[in-house]
Amino acid sequence: MLRPCLRHCSRATLRSLSCPRCLPRDDLQLLQFNQKIPLPSFPPTRRLQTSSIDSQDPVPLRKQLKQDAKTVRARKRERREQEEASRQKWELTVGVEIHAQLNTETKLFSRAPTLPSELPNSNVALFDLAFPGSQPEFQAATLLPALRAAIALNCDIQPVSRFDRKHYFYQDQPAGYQITQYYEPFARNGYIDLFSYDGIAPEDRDRVRIGIKQVQLEQDTAKSQEYPPSTQLLDFNRVSHPLIEIITMPQIHTPATAAAFVRKVQSILQSCSAVTTGMELGGLRADINVSIRQRGDDSGAHQYGGIGGLGQRTEIKNLSSFKAVEDAIIAEKNRQIAVLESGGVIEGETRGWTIGSTETRKLRGKEGEVDYRYMPDPDVPPLLIGEDLVSKLANTLPTAPDALIDMLVGPGYGLPIEDAKPLVELEDGARLDYYQDVVDILRDVQDLDSKARASLGRVTGNWVLHELGGLLTKAGQPWDAERVTADSLAAIIDQLQRNRITGATAKQVLAMLFDGDRRPVMQLLEEENLILRPLSREEYIALAEAAIEQNPQMVEQIRSKKQLGKLGWFVGQMMRMGVKGRVEALKADEILRELILGS
Amino acid sequence: MSLLLEAERYVANQSSHLALNAFITPLPRRSSRWQDQVKHADLRRAQGKQKSRLDGRLIAFKDNICTRDLPTTCASKTLETFTSPFNATVVQQLEDAGAIVAGKTNLDEFGMGSHSIHSRFGPVKSAHCGRDSDNLSAGGSSGGSAVAVATDQCYAALGTDTGGSVRLPAAYTGIVGFKPSYGLLSRWGVVAYANSLDTVGIMAKETSTVRDVFGILNQYDSRDPTSHPPSSRSRISHRLKSTPLRIGVPLEYNISELAPSVRRSWYRSLEYMRQQGHTIQLVSLPMTKSALSAYYILAPAEASSNLAKYDGVRYGTRFEGRDGDGDNKSEGYLYAKTRGEGFGSEVKRRIMLGAFSLSAQAIDNYFIQAQRIRRLVRHDFDAVFRAENPLTAHALDIEHQAREVGVDVLICPTAPSPPPRISELTNANATKSSLDAYVSDVFTVPASLAGLPAISVPVSGRENVYSHDDEDLAGIQIIGQYGDDDLVLNVGELLQGNGL
Repeated sequence: MLRPCLRHCSRATLRSLSCPRCLPRDDLQLLQFNQKIPLPSFPPTRRLQTSSIDSQDPVPLRKQLKQDAKTVRARKRERREQEEASRQKWELTVGVEIHAQLNTETKLFSRAPTLPSELPNSNVALFDLAFPGSQPEFQAATLLPALRAAIALNCDIQPVSRFDRKHYFYQDQPAGYQITQYYEPFARNGYIDLFSYDGIAPEDRDRVRIGIKQVQLEQDTAKSQEYPPSTQLLDFNRVSHPLIEIITMPQIHTPATAAAFVRKVQSILQSCSAVTTGMELGGLRADINVSIRQRGDDSGAHQYGGIGGLGQRTEIKNLSSFKAVEDAIIAEKNRQIAVLESGGVIEGETRGWTIGSTETRKLRGKEGEVDYRYMPDPDVPPLLIGEDLVSKLANTLPTAPDALIDMLVGPGYGLPIEDAKPLVELEDGARLDYYQDVVDILRDVQDLDSKARASLGRVTGNWVLHELGGLLTKAGQPWDAERVTADSLAAIIDQLQRNRITGATAKQVLAMLFDGDRRPVMQLLEEENLILRPLSREEYIALAEAAIEQNPQMVEQIRSKKQLGKLGWFVGQMMRMGVKGRVEALKADEILRELILGS
Repeated sequence: MSLLLEAERYVANQSSHLALNAFITPLPRRSSRWQDQVKHADLRRAQGKQKSRLDGRLIAFKDNICTRDLPTTCASKTLETFTSPFNATVVQQLEDAGAIVAGKTNLDEFGMGSHSIHSRFGPVKSAHCGRDSDNLSAGGSSGGSAVAVATDQCYAALGTDTGGSVRLPAAYTGIVGFKPSYGLLSRWGVVAYANSLDTVGIMAKETSTVRDVFGILNQYDSRDPTSHPPSSRSRISHRLKSTPLRIGVPLEYNISELAPSVRRSWYRSLEYMRQQGHTIQLVSLPMTKSALSAYYILAPAEASSNLAKYDGVRYGTRFEGRDGDGDNKSEGYLYAKTRGEGFGSEVKRRIMLGAFSLSAQAIDNYFIQAQRIRRLVRHDFDAVFRAENPLTAHALDIEHQAREVGVDVLICPTAPSPPPRISELTNANATKSSLDAYVSDVFTVPASLAGLPAISVPVSGRENVYSHDDEDLAGIQIIGQYGDDDLVLNVGELLQGNGL
């Protein structure tokens, strides 16, 4: 942390260990204090190796630090209270527009492939470059992922939809217009439900439903790279890549829920293979509309998506992470409240957000708004979508994440929600597939009653997420279902449940397989001599007696005062004394009770 | 005459008529390339193995139709040096039939104009002269193609017809100009002016030649999304026609501004048809007056959109220096210089018109209304024709009675007046404004809005043998129901073939 700071800070500011640029605002107080410390005579770089604080009288400093921390806490509390007060007074309304790159082989209006990794400007057809005389050729296959998405978002698929041209000049838009579906989109009136496990704000309680106004098909733009002062490089490979734009109703009222919405849309789109990449790779981008009004005041003059009485909205363009969505809304909300509270008026304008920033910035005002001059595209025929196609796709759609979570927390698997959610989300469902494989194998090999079945789901969840997951995290490796195969993990769990190995052995074997041991589990257990050979009754008695000898007083306490909890200490002793992995706690406890209590 | 002799005569005429400015890119006089192609065609003809009736014929192409071997400029500075990487489908079809590209003809920039004077390469001049021996207008926008045909610089020519751009120049130069039903000929490789109206048109001295060319071009092309697939073509074409025909005469076309020579040629045509045993019947097309206004909203709107691609980034002419109009980067409008200098005044006028009529404040009153008028114009036609419109047959409820009294074709003038002198149009203190030029499209625009087949054939408007030459230049237009292209060609041939 310090080194990058040093590079940025001039020598004069090097009075403290902390660089002001690296500190959040709350710590400024602390910083000012530190600056009172006299500057030592040796060069600043060396000062970093010794602590300047040590050379000062430590007592008042510590006291001061404590006080400062207190002040910071108090200030935070104050701000929380202020925020709560402002939340009580002002109502935030947010609408979201998400652009998602569809998982298609070709572009929307040409047969050019969508592969991203080719040479710049290699995947382009004449129409993609807007050559004179070229015409669009709608690629029907691109409709399939779009339809899957719209169905998964619970939309009404429109039997007839049309394409329009949206005009604006920019070098990433070769035709001077984008083909989109403005007047008649292919899907309308959808919704998604957000639950508390999706991370919605506490105000939204257990569940909130966000309406989706429409979903439209449209073209992506080219990639441009700026080389100031006067060079722009353009790569048209991305141009006309099919996108869907998902437009919500203005029904979101907290920043956290907006972020949860975007996150959930991404996971839904991924679960039905409508998209290939998420926000982290630029496959998904969000625009946010934010407006503010006083609670209970529905006299606002503005109407969005058929919902009236709202305040003037501003639009924040091109947010590329869930955190950016949340942070930008918070910043814009605070800005609008500040403007309104100081008697100002919100202007309808387009604003931008830079990651790590605390304020949105104005991009262009109303007077600079582009009139897109929407016009029906005369060359692209209307899109006619048959009911049969829609129902076929609906029937073959993979189970939605919410339904998967319901299934996992249900009686079939009995997983806690904290385990069910990551299973569904991790690696686009690959972890879930693996988990289900392991459970299926175990169910085949074990003949269990339904209660045992329920615990099987939970136990397996623990092994897949926490034991195997822990090894992955430690190794810093991505998920690989072949590293420890489902068969192997099932064998380990099976052996454990049959009491043929102990828990410690099971973990040890998992780690061995994870590190590349390719032997089958049974062979490995045999060869490493890991199978639990139960001790004979005599051996247990011998161990128990040895333990009792070590602490006769405690035996007396157990006998006289019935302090049964203390039996555990003797169990521990027995396990420590016995051969590792052979002493079973339950049996040890049984023998101890017999010897000590005579029962 | 051998094909080679004929071709050499055409190419020689291209040189001798250089002053008419019909070609932007003529054929080089001595080039083994076209000569060899024609010689091979002569050989095939001698062996009875002709590829088609057009094998070895020289066909000129309007310079907004893409050719791989010759530049395609659209008569615009912005595409002055542009050569398309591909052939338009219509070019390919004719080459496959053995025809030879006879060069690229002059036009109004991007097809926008009615007199072929708005060209980067200078105005086209008709070979016909007025009384004061001023050259007359060749009509537009396919004026170069028309003059090339009229003065034997090629065997036939292709033009494009958006609101009359093939029929008007045909009428002004005394040749045949045919605009087929929208969606029959491929537009792949035809540079768009207003896609929903643009149609490739055919120009020749004889209707039979037009029919030959039409026969080759009338094919489905999967690359043109507005081209009718074979399934709907079969629905369109098999229609029986009873003779005698019922000829419709639209009342609304008999306007007071009609020039006497034009009215004479109209009467003459109708009289001839009556003599041939056909019935003449008055019909009403009440939307005719609004059609021209609607056209001049819709076509510029589409043009403003279609021409947005000319930014000089990927192809075309780019102008030196910063391409914004302000010193400050954020204040300047992108491409202001390239587009400002690349387009001529008429193109800029129509882009402005179109951008306005599509703007949020104006679209409801202009573009949307014009689209409504367009539907009503189509309805007008459907109401007078005996045949149902195969595209809207199920959607419209025109009374059965109308069917029984309906007409087979409409006969009317192509333009309300004979061609004006070019000097009247181009002089600094020109008496004719661009609005006057728009008015010359009043009779051709309705068929364009409805997508109907229409042909203009020359019918003399001369009063007597002493009348001046330019009075002889009148075009009579035959309009048919959608898909009745053959009928329109047949009636055109009847009128044209009788020395009227």
